[in-house]
Amino acid sequence: MSSVDSRIEPMRVLIIEDEALLAMELEGLVEEAGHTVVGWATSSSEAHTLVDSVEADLAFVDIHLSDGPTGIDVARYITGQKCSMAVFMTANPKRIPENFAGAVGVIAKPYTIHGLMAALQYLHEGVRHPPPASALPIGFTLAPPYRTSWAGSS
Amino acid sequence: MDWKAITDGGDDWHMTDRLHAEHGKGDPFAAAIRATRMAMLITDPRQNDNPIVFANNAFLKLSGYARDEVMGRNCRFLQGPATDPQTVDRIRQALINRLDINVDILNYRRDGSSFWNALYISPVSNEAGELQFFFASQLDVTDRKETEHRIAADKERFEKAVRERTSELEASLDAQRTLLHEVDHRVKNNLQMISSLIVMQSRSIPDENIKRSLHAMLERIEALSTVHRRLYQSDDVSSFDISDFIRDLVTDLAAATGRPSLKTSFDLDPIVVPADKATPVALIVNELVTNALKHAFKADGSEELLTLRLFRRDDRIRIEITDNGNGMPAANGGSSFGMRLVRSLARQLQADVMWSDAAPGTRVTVGIPETIGGA
Repeated sequence: MSSVDSRIEPMRVLIIEDEALLAMELEGLVEEAGHTVVGWATSSSEAHTLVDSVEADLAFVDIHLSDGPTGIDVARYITGQKCSMAVFMTANPKRIPENFAGAVGVIAKPYTIHGLMAALQYLHEGVRHPPPASALPIGFTLAPPYRTSWAGSS
Repeated sequence: MDWKAITDGGDDWHMTDRLHAEHGKGDPFAAAIRATRMAMLITDPRQNDNPIVFANNAFLKLSGYARDEVMGRNCRFLQGPATDPQTVDRIRQALINRLDINVDILNYRRDGSSFWNALYISPVSNEAGELQFFFASQLDVTDRKETEHRIAADKERFEKAVRERTSELEASLDAQRTLLHEVDHRVKNNLQMISSLIVMQSRSIPDENIKRSLHAMLERIEALSTVHRRLYQSDDVSSFDISDFIRDLVTDLAAATGRPSLKTSFDLDPIVVPADKATPVALIVNELVTNALKHAFKADGSEELLTLRLFRRDDRIRIEITDNGNGMPAANGGSSFGMRLVRSLARQLQADVMWSDAAPGTRVTVGIPETIGGA
């Protein structure tokens, strides 16, 4: 498994996901890759509180949360703060609005472990030293604003 | 009255009236107008309020009035409560502008009963171009109008029924779409959760053999996940693009090995199969590719190449997986669970699986009949 490049500072990651099992696994994979999970929220209100109280570089956001399809608003709130990036993680990529609510892109569920690790590395490069040097991972779709600025490198 | 004076005054209709009365016959055109079954009127626009100055018997019969009840009156007495004011206005405009007009108008008889009147009006001018009178003919078209109204009502009823049925069907289609969406969402989430459980369980197991088994199981489930991610990406959920799938699966499996010496090469024709074949095809390809990645290569750092080809030949879809590794003399896949899986799935698809020497390395070819299970 790819682990974090020691020359680049690791990321602080938020997980916005209502399925405990998926949040647990994601947390394990994120930490295995050398990053830190700084918070987990299962609803939009929890997510707002979390975003206001901790500093993070990247947030994984499921569209369907415990209080409904509120993930899109959560992503908009996160990207509106300008200090962290959001990436959708959903089995329902067709629900995402055309402008991706400011998010970088979407990882389609079900993802493979390698697909997720590759996405983590890609996002790590994108957060610290954009544009990413790695190729666009399978199952990862970039939002329109990033298609020109990020995808060129692959 | 003097004959000439009347003629000069242009009151020719009076002339025919008198001719008839006094002589019993005269101008054959005038006689024809009197005798025809077509109701006809002449009005005089030069007099105040354009009164009727001639009415034939057919008109009197149609309207139920006596001649002295209509002479000298404006035609509007034929209108009634249900007469369309817009039609009346169209007639008024035509008279003002001295134009021909033909309209269907609802008129009323003396007894109050109504009838549909196919009305024709034409202005008649003398040689100097001065308007002399209006000539009007009336035809009772009540039967035709009723038929028209019935057809229009039937059409409206029919269209309403079609509209209602269409919106019912659209609502039903929406409900089905929502349901499909929901089921798709759950299938994907559940596949993700199964993967998660295996990954997390695997972390807590120290035994490398068990870890390897769990990892092989995870790869099979991820192959199914890749099928589902691909299957519902397009709007067409009934067919499955094998070429896209193979590229995704093999790229992911090869990258997951983390071996920089491993290269992949693809030569894939775009081939689509019915969705129910997607799972067995995906699992077969997964087993053969993971098997090659695990066992085919020397692992001494020399270049490893895995080549995937997809093409049609002799009514079969052929998937060819070639490595440049050790070579497996008399390889038939052996008796591992993975190879038993391949043989069973191949039987389900009525496909053949052949191992051959690719010198160097090994080639596995899967031939899937195109017609089985058809589209």
